Amino acid sequence: MRGGSGLDGPGGPATGTSVEALIARVLLWGGLVSGLFVLLGLTLYAAGGGVSARVLELHRLGRPERLAHPPDVFVSLGEVLRGLSARPLDPLAVTALGLVLLLMTPALGVAVAIPAFVRAGDRRYAAIAGIVLAMLLVSLLLAGGVA
Amino acid sequence: MELSTFVVAVLLTSVGAGTVGAVLGLGGGILLVPILTIFYGVDMHYAMGASIISVIATSGGAAAAYVKTGLSNVRIGLFLVMATIAGALTGALLAGVVPVRWLELILGLALSYSAFATLQQINLELPRELPDDWLAMRLGLEGVYYDRRLDQEVKYRATRIGRGFGAMYAAGVLSGLLGIGSGAFKVLAMDHFMRLPMKVSTATSNFMIGITAAASAGIYFTRGDIHPLIAAPVAIGVLLGAYLGSVVMVRLRNATVRKVFLPVVVYLALSMILRSLGVRLF
Repeated sequence: MRGGSGLDGPGGPATGTSVEALIARVLLWGGLVSGLFVLLGLTLYAAGGGVSARVLELHRLGRPERLAHPPDVFVSLGEVLRGLSARPLDPLAVTALGLVLLLMTPALGVAVAIPAFVRAGDRRYAAIAGIVLAMLLVSLLLAGGVA
Repeated sequence: MELSTFVVAVLLTSVGAGTVGAVLGLGGGILLVPILTIFYGVDMHYAMGASIISVIATSGGAAAAYVKTGLSNVRIGLFLVMATIAGALTGALLAGVVPVRWLELILGLALSYSAFATLQQINLELPRELPDDWLAMRLGLEGVYYDRRLDQEVKYRATRIGRGFGAMYAAGVLSGLLGIGSGAFKVLAMDHFMRLPMKVSTATSNFMIGITAAASAGIYFTRGDIHPLIAAPVAIGVLLGAYLGSVVMVRLRNATVRKVFLPVVVYLALSMILRSLGVRLF
């Protein structure tokens, strides 16, 4: 595999490598860390007998009545944190934490791109990344409003 | 089915969905949602929540590798994703106002045309030289990647940026209105309008779909559509599958990727036309 030098050819983006390497690292670690939390939670749940205790209860995975979501489903960060601080620890809260981290990873990738573009002297793309991040935040706020 | 069997089955299915998604620049929802609902009896809402997880996990598993090697073009991706998210927000606002059936029909016909156009250039390995687009020059919408299969550095520059940007906005509106993923449209717009190499199109789409999905992830989460016992095996399976897919994809020819992509477009076109007639494939 060629190193970063290939990206800096004449006419190519002069500042490519550092920004791309940083985004790649954030996406990679975001995926790894969240995947580990998801796996850890699932393993703890299985070790606690959760998986075998729920034999033939798959139909409960179907959507219940609108207002009461099943205790396994987390709908806010507060619920996840309560599950994490509960003793004994709620293993599915660990999984939910991993899922939340996973959902946040792309936004994190965009966020770190902004200062990286600025450092690379590319204000135009710093601005574009800023607009994308702002739109992500707007849609998050809309989600909060809907809830 | 026992829950443990269910978890393992969903995990294995997700490895497959992640692999295919990573190669084709899709989130895997097109495979996962029907399989989860039809074969595993999962509720549609939980299946959609799992699909959002799948999209972001595909990005996490594959885009990291693609971005690092330059196959995903971050600038092109960020520029176009502005259009897609703006479109998705518009689509959410328009929900309930626009006659959905006509949209489905128009989309189905547009996709049929895309399938035809894809078929016409099915064996094209690299795009032919095209006149420079001033916007692409100004915004530096270009790049270089080392193609392992061709064993050469491939230089490319996007063209017809206006049309590509418009198509991305439309894709965002439609995915917001119709509740379908937009990965396939992103690939088509980059392949057809902007004339990027096929692998750059799918890899850049992989980077973009994660960001687009993140925009609606909050809604799914607070609505309670993300069930840990369904989403967990999906996340782990798709992360693994996407990593596998990224290893496979860099070794494929551009033409091969396009050949695998064509059936997806045909399927989407058919399902949209059928939906406009009131028939749902799943």
